[in-house]
Amino acid sequence: MIELFNVSKTYKLKSGRKTILNGVTASIPWKNIGVLGRNGAGKSTFLRLISGIEEPDSGIVKRSKSFSWPIGFRGSFHPMLSGIENVRFVARLYGQNTEEMIDKVEDFAELGQFFYEPVKTYSSGMGARLAFGLSMAIKFEVFLVDEVMAVGDAKFQAKSKAAFKAMLPTSRIIMVSHSMSSIREYCDSGLVIDNGRMTYFEDLEEAIARYAELNK
Amino acid sequence: MKQLRTQMRVIFALVLREARTRHGRARLGYAWAIIEPLAMITFLTLLFSQFRTSNGPDGNFALFFATGVLAFQAYRNTSVYICNSFAQNKNLFNYPMVKPIDAALARLFLDCATHVFVIALVLIGQIVLMDANPPHDIPYMAFAMSLLFFMALGAGLCLAVLRRFSQAVFSLYLIVMGPAFFLSCVFYSLATVPTGFREILKLNPLVHGVEGFRTGYYAVYPNDDVSLFYLFTWAVTLNFLGWIGERLTRFQNQ
Repeated sequence: MIELFNVSKTYKLKSGRKTILNGVTASIPWKNIGVLGRNGAGKSTFLRLISGIEEPDSGIVKRSKSFSWPIGFRGSFHPMLSGIENVRFVARLYGQNTEEMIDKVEDFAELGQFFYEPVKTYSSGMGARLAFGLSMAIKFEVFLVDEVMAVGDAKFQAKSKAAFKAMLPTSRIIMVSHSMSSIREYCDSGLVIDNGRMTYFEDLEEAIARYAELNK
Repeated sequence: MKQLRTQMRVIFALVLREARTRHGRARLGYAWAIIEPLAMITFLTLLFSQFRTSNGPDGNFALFFATGVLAFQAYRNTSVYICNSFAQNKNLFNYPMVKPIDAALARLFLDCATHVFVIALVLIGQIVLMDANPPHDIPYMAFAMSLLFFMALGAGLCLAVLRRFSQAVFSLYLIVMGPAFFLSCVFYSLATVPTGFREILKLNPLVHGVEGFRTGYYAVYPNDDVSLFYLFTWAVTLNFLGWIGERLTRFQNQ
């Protein structure tokens, strides 16, 4: 699913550069993968790197599947545009059938009349529901999850989970989380990022064991 | 090929979004983008007509001034608009297919369309309502105008790149564009400027765009010192620097 050839990636801090990957060559299969690493190890940057939002400092990243944006991302919502207009924009970006996508999101996000109101009038829960509905409306082959999975009230959470599980036969998930229970719930394999190195474990439990060692 | 199609799709989506949000709060929406420069140009024309800084080739000052201010404002507004394209669309770069260049190009296309419409409205207004002479060589005017837009893209890109490092770049550019209005042959003709000063003015690429636009409008216009090639050289250089600069500094400031 993802091939890394001698990939290096750093990010800038006030006190210098932080190395996330240092000349990593790896092949990551199309599986449900939990990404583990200590705070600041670069897990989120890693997600941005593999989905193509960011490019490596050097080396090549090859993708053979379609990747989502991090689920629940709503930075792209324009506060002055209505929910439906924001959905239309993303549908156009991804070359989706606009009307179909609007129907899906409207149905899923349960915003009622607010779907036609500017996003700036939304409560944070409504914004999150719109964002989640939008993520679920495109059949990506790989969904990226960065910490936040559960939004809204218990009922909406259950619905989100069901929608997500329904995607799993045709899609895979790459997940960053500090909660081992949610990682165990969705993932079978693991990636540990530490000190510029990245190790892939076929078996999730091995990855979690390695991660526990790092935290000692 | 597929990449090109994706980019077209992205730019199209961005154009629609920008058109919708640029004046989003106003009831009239995008009509403001037309009304604003239209009102500005009408006001300036009335104001400068009091001074009559030039007679124009056919004794019609209002037309002479309008041709200058239309060309100048098109460049100014477009470059300023593109200057902010990276910063104001920052969040959209979280969609992998949206690149900063696309945001700049979307704004270029939108502002091109807007200004071509404004130019047509003003000139048709002058011809119909004020009995001005019609344009002589429309393709030549379009050519000069395209070069100005091309340069606006280059300048806007360079500024947007610099703006990644300092917000002050934008304010500074607005300040520079103030005197530029007086140094770009907007309300006088390059041929009427004394020789010594003319040699200096000629270094300003906008002079050639504004005077080039006029050369196309009038059947006879003194344009010995006007060089569209000079403007073209500037435009190519700025675009080159802007595109390379954008590529090299893309993740510098995150």
